[in-house]
Amino acid sequence: MKPRASSYLFVAPYGLSFLTFIVVPIGTAFVLALMQFDLTSRKTASFVGLRNFQEALADPYFQKAAIATCTFTAMMVPILILTGLAFAVGLQAMRTGRNTIRALLFLPGMFNVVVAALIWRWFYDGEFGYFNFLLKKVGIPPVHWLSEKTLAMPSIVGMSLWWTLGGTTIVLLAAIQQVPKQLFEAAMLDGASSTRIFARITMPQIRPVLMFITITSTIGAFQVFGQPFLLTQGGPELSTRGVVQLIYETGFNQYRLGYAAAMSWLLFAMIFAFVVFQFMLLRRSSD
Amino acid sequence: MMQRSYLVFLFLICLLLGSIKYFSGGISSTTRKTELSFWNGWTGPDGRAMLTVIRRFNDENPDVQVSMQRMDWATYYNKLMVAAMNGRGPQVFVIHASTLPRMMQAGFVADASDLYGQKTGILESDFDSKVLTQVKYGKELVGVPLDIHPQGMYCNAQMLKEAGFTNPNGTVRAPVTKEEFLKAINATQKISSDGSHSVWGFSWTMWRNNFMALVPQFHGHYFDDQGQPDLACPGNVAALEFMNELMNKIKVTPSPESNMGWVGFRQKHVAMVFDGVYMVGDLQRLDDLQYIGAPIPVIGDQQGTMADSHCLCMRTDLTPKERNAAERFIAYLSKNSIEWAAAGQVPARKSIRNSPAFAKMQVQYAFSKQIPGMLYPPRTPVLFELTLEIDLAVEKVLRGRATALQALQVANDNVKKVVERNRQESSS
Repeated sequence: MKPRASSYLFVAPYGLSFLTFIVVPIGTAFVLALMQFDLTSRKTASFVGLRNFQEALADPYFQKAAIATCTFTAMMVPILILTGLAFAVGLQAMRTGRNTIRALLFLPGMFNVVVAALIWRWFYDGEFGYFNFLLKKVGIPPVHWLSEKTLAMPSIVGMSLWWTLGGTTIVLLAAIQQVPKQLFEAAMLDGASSTRIFARITMPQIRPVLMFITITSTIGAFQVFGQPFLLTQGGPELSTRGVVQLIYETGFNQYRLGYAAAMSWLLFAMIFAFVVFQFMLLRRSSD
Repeated sequence: MMQRSYLVFLFLICLLLGSIKYFSGGISSTTRKTELSFWNGWTGPDGRAMLTVIRRFNDENPDVQVSMQRMDWATYYNKLMVAAMNGRGPQVFVIHASTLPRMMQAGFVADASDLYGQKTGILESDFDSKVLTQVKYGKELVGVPLDIHPQGMYCNAQMLKEAGFTNPNGTVRAPVTKEEFLKAINATQKISSDGSHSVWGFSWTMWRNNFMALVPQFHGHYFDDQGQPDLACPGNVAALEFMNELMNKIKVTPSPESNMGWVGFRQKHVAMVFDGVYMVGDLQRLDDLQYIGAPIPVIGDQQGTMADSHCLCMRTDLTPKERNAAERFIAYLSKNSIEWAAAGQVPARKSIRNSPAFAKMQVQYAFSKQIPGMLYPPRTPVLFELTLEIDLAVEKVLRGRATALQALQVANDNVKKVVERNRQESSS
């Protein structure tokens, strides 16, 4: 059937904004990545081919930032999924107070990242912080949450978890609630244990949602910026400076737009590779 | 019918708004004000002080209307750069002396040499040569330094007094030599029965600034005479070793993990800190803290500290009318910089620093005594990269992961690469 002209008219507003705000910037970023374009230089931008990419791959700061990003993702995503799932299952089992708990869980996610980070900066403060105050009360010496190299990243993960757990839990709870009740009833009649019901009914039924959550969380984790930027400024010794922060600093402090664009594409490649890998892994396990 | 009357109503509203706009335009066209946009990064109390001066300028100059826009420095420089390069930047803007080289490379800062002279009252002789050098590029003067903001020492007056640091007339005095400084640290610290410090005699604040403040005292520098990076020079190593000595050897400052810094000083957990003169605004809000400002004690071979300046600059493509208004505005700010000094700055003009009003500003006046020995950050377009390397070097040493020499050598090697890359990219 031939589409009518009016159908194009309906698509036009979104199509136009898609073209303007998605396609054109992506195209520009790609062209930029192949250029030497320094805002502070009076020289005109010049084509350098893949030089920016080669430089980024050999740049120890990019490698360090990539490791920090992967560390954050590796810690954040599994903990987020597992905790979210645990909370969702717990909420599903609750008979009273479910809505209150759900609302409380979702509340932190409504804060802007700056607000959340400011709250947690006070929680983590080495001298006057809330956590160390509690530790002191029970006779434990203060912990340097954000300035100790080994603790800084887990602390950022802790704050991120608090900030994002509510949304993940609610999506997973909704998925669990969509599982047909008769499946649970039949399993219970057959005498299946609750562990078996969870493993054989709940998990397979919510797998598509789980897959979606895992992939979107991974993408989000790779793009982490606000939390480390506000909590540690990338320290100590750049151990929490992720790729996005490095891109920001290269583009907007050093004004090397071409190089920053190339690093953005490398980050995109990293995310794409991980997502494809995850997707294949999850699909294989569901088959 | 309903729809038609609605449209008529809408038309009448538009007509009314249009008439208001037309007639108000007519009024303003008779006065013909030159509008100047003035951007800066003074988002704190300093911004409010500047706003007062600007309002007065607007009142006294009915033909000019200055509107000020403030944003945090990082955002500010990004916006300024992008806007100015597209010819949409403000007519007048502020640039740190240390950031000028990068902005000069971008090419949107105008020559302001003709601002100096009897006509405006801004005389070159009214500035210290090392301050004026900051805005000198070739034969051009590309801005007017408004202030100087050196690093100095803040002391808790009560604690120093209790430790016996008083003048014969009973007023509090700050330590001036290394020996006195160490004595003051030991005398002011309070150690609890469990061995922990309830009060530290001294704490490092912003490590990089603290390090850069000590560098001139040890005859340190960042680039050698040939313009090559020389971060691992003996003076810099000695400055960093002193920081390490206090923190990790004689252990009289909080550890890197529990660095209390400025907050500790505000909360009376630290007796002395080094920080910028601009921090005085923060202390002025505290009612229960007695403090004095003083030059950084002579730790090395000579008096010295690190400083920077806010410079008033103009865009290259101003119309003659805008240029005239901008020059008048800059001259006004420079002439009235005593009010600006009250917000936590040292005026760049000697004549204003010599005024009785400035002598009454205890902290600013004390910090200004360091001007002869102050060292500006190096004039390089890769300052951001250089300071990042200094940050890392200082952090590594204070965390005990490298010696001062090792850390500064690594930093120097990295800066060399950046300088070389910048040279190639600028010339390619």
